[in-house]
Amino acid sequence: MKILLVEDDRALAEALGEALRDAGLLVETAESGGEADFLVRTERYDAVVLDLGLPDGDGTRWLAQWRDDAIDLPVLVLTARERWSDKAAGFSAGADDYVTKPFETAEVLFRLRALVRRSHGHAHPVLTLGELTYDTHAGSISVAGRPVTLTAQESRLLAYLMHAAPRIVSRGELAEHVYDRDHEPDSNVIDVQISRLRRKLGSERIETLRGQGYRVVAPEDGA
Amino acid sequence: MTATAGSRLRALASRPAGWSLGQRLLAAALGLVVVILPLAGLGLAYNFRESVTASFDQRLSSLLQVVLADLDYDPAEQRLQVSHSLGDARFQRVFSGWYWQITDRQGTSLVSRSLWDQRLPVSMADGISVRNISGPRGEPLRVIERDVHLPGHPQRLHVSVAASREELDAEVARFEWLLGLSLLTLGGLLIGGLALQIRWGLAPLRRLHADLERVESGAGERLDTRLPGELSELAEAMNEVLERDRGLIERGRSAAGNLAHALKTPVSVLKTVADRLPEAQRRQVRDELGRIDEAVRHHLARASAAGGSTLTGRVRIGEAIAPVVDGLARLAGRRGIALERELDPELTVRMDPQDLQELVGNLLDNAMRWAERRVRLRVHAEDDGVCLLIEDDGPGMSAAQREAALARGARLDEHRSGSGLGLAIVEDLMTLYGGSLNLETAALGGLAARVRLPGATPASPRHR
Repeated sequence: MKILLVEDDRALAEALGEALRDAGLLVETAESGGEADFLVRTERYDAVVLDLGLPDGDGTRWLAQWRDDAIDLPVLVLTARERWSDKAAGFSAGADDYVTKPFETAEVLFRLRALVRRSHGHAHPVLTLGELTYDTHAGSISVAGRPVTLTAQESRLLAYLMHAAPRIVSRGELAEHVYDRDHEPDSNVIDVQISRLRRKLGSERIETLRGQGYRVVAPEDGA
Repeated sequence: MTATAGSRLRALASRPAGWSLGQRLLAAALGLVVVILPLAGLGLAYNFRESVTASFDQRLSSLLQVVLADLDYDPAEQRLQVSHSLGDARFQRVFSGWYWQITDRQGTSLVSRSLWDQRLPVSMADGISVRNISGPRGEPLRVIERDVHLPGHPQRLHVSVAASREELDAEVARFEWLLGLSLLTLGGLLIGGLALQIRWGLAPLRRLHADLERVESGAGERLDTRLPGELSELAEAMNEVLERDRGLIERGRSAAGNLAHALKTPVSVLKTVADRLPEAQRRQVRDELGRIDEAVRHHLARASAAGGSTLTGRVRIGEAIAPVVDGLARLAGRRGIALERELDPELTVRMDPQDLQELVGNLLDNAMRWAERRVRLRVHAEDDGVCLLIEDDGPGMSAAQREAALARGARLDEHRSGSGLGLAIVEDLMTLYGGSLNLETAALGGLAARVRLPGATPASPRHR
């Protein structure tokens, strides 16, 4: 899961970014609305965490601009505002959820995961594909009830595929959503990690469609 | 801190001490008219009667002179006689009310024919005397008497001339009747005129009062100062007070807001950093940060709450909460929750719009945090107030949980923070406005928050 964290307070951006990375998320940061605007338009993210008090204009203004331009990625607003009329202005601009400062990291994580899950059309927090389950709250993966240990990178890769299933995900899309923009992998790296996942989960659970990409399937259903 | 000029003005406007100015002035005018006009009438009537009586007496006196002049004594025959019949037929007609009588020591010697066989009572006073007596038929008479010595007559003679007072009384009565009628008319005209004068004179005050009510109801912010000199200054002074009051509230709110705002980001940083500490320290630091956070939000919410003490009147509930509900509905929509509204757009409540937004925002936010698919907001009139019902189809609460939730600062789920504090803020608002908050089981299956707000203004400005 790749997140853009827009927060002008450097201490908070660092602390929150680190906490989210610890939870296995890929986090990129922007310190201003302009920078965030550029990144949102050029990179792919699964969600944006947007502080409303930015040095170059109110966060709601940027958000409304993105929504006008049909940039529909989930946005979690961080607000220090107390008045409900102010908060509601944020929702009207197109926020998907909000947390009030000072927040719990756990809450930010919880809401981010829920947002991403919902943006893929999943209502339930536990995604299931045959015997393969992915608990979006806990970020844990199991096969037939047995927990499977994955590296952070593998877990992000599988989570993305699980969210997208039964859609086919191209290598390019995976590269954009699962890897840091400064360390974009060649397709070789993805192939290697996919085959490691297959070893851990069972090779038949991840299909390679030549020239199109990957897809998680449930071999138990005879697919 | 915000219970300032507004409440004082309202107290002045709505609780007049005793009578109104208009009533006082009208009562004073009535008193004057009721006392002065009758006194003047009595004085006039008395003087009129005096003057009519005086002229009557003068006529009697001249009649007496005529009787005396016509009185002859014949010493040879020792006989008294009145030479002419006094030239007035009334002395001839029996019991006409006009009489004369001449008496000596032995008794009556000579009377007018009109007296017939009757006699006038004789006063023993010396000199000329005038008095009222009853005549032969019991008619009121006025009699003038004097003693005279006739040349040659051995005795002193007592001469009386009497005339009926009926004429005099009738004249006085007619005058008094006319006087009474005139005074009544005058009194009526005076009172009517005074009432008009008071109305006209106090019109600016009434305008000021109506203006004050307008400001109080929230329909205006300032008093109209186009008033006569004295009042215009008063209205201007009031406007200044109102403005300063609003400024104070606004400054208080924004100062509290700025302070809270400045604290929030550092507290967020500390909270996030604390997650990396060893468990024991982590818990301690987080607890303390939680206390800071709660104190800041609690006091900010209280500072922001205008309460029932400012010059805010009735607001349309639907209009006031629309920005919050619309925003939350959009958020709910993106979360897959339907936010249903049942609300009469004409319903009003006496509450600061921002306080109302806080109330509805906090409760809806709570409901949305727990709801599965549906949240419902219903507002309806109830008795003399308004009832807001906010329901969700979430897991709901047991009776014990509901009780705990209403306890200050209770936080039921770490992932869904703020719910406890939200309820505490709502409870604070209820205390300010004299309303109530109850938690119940919702018809939708989850939790229902029922808020009752009184329709009337809080009876007295409260102190905090």
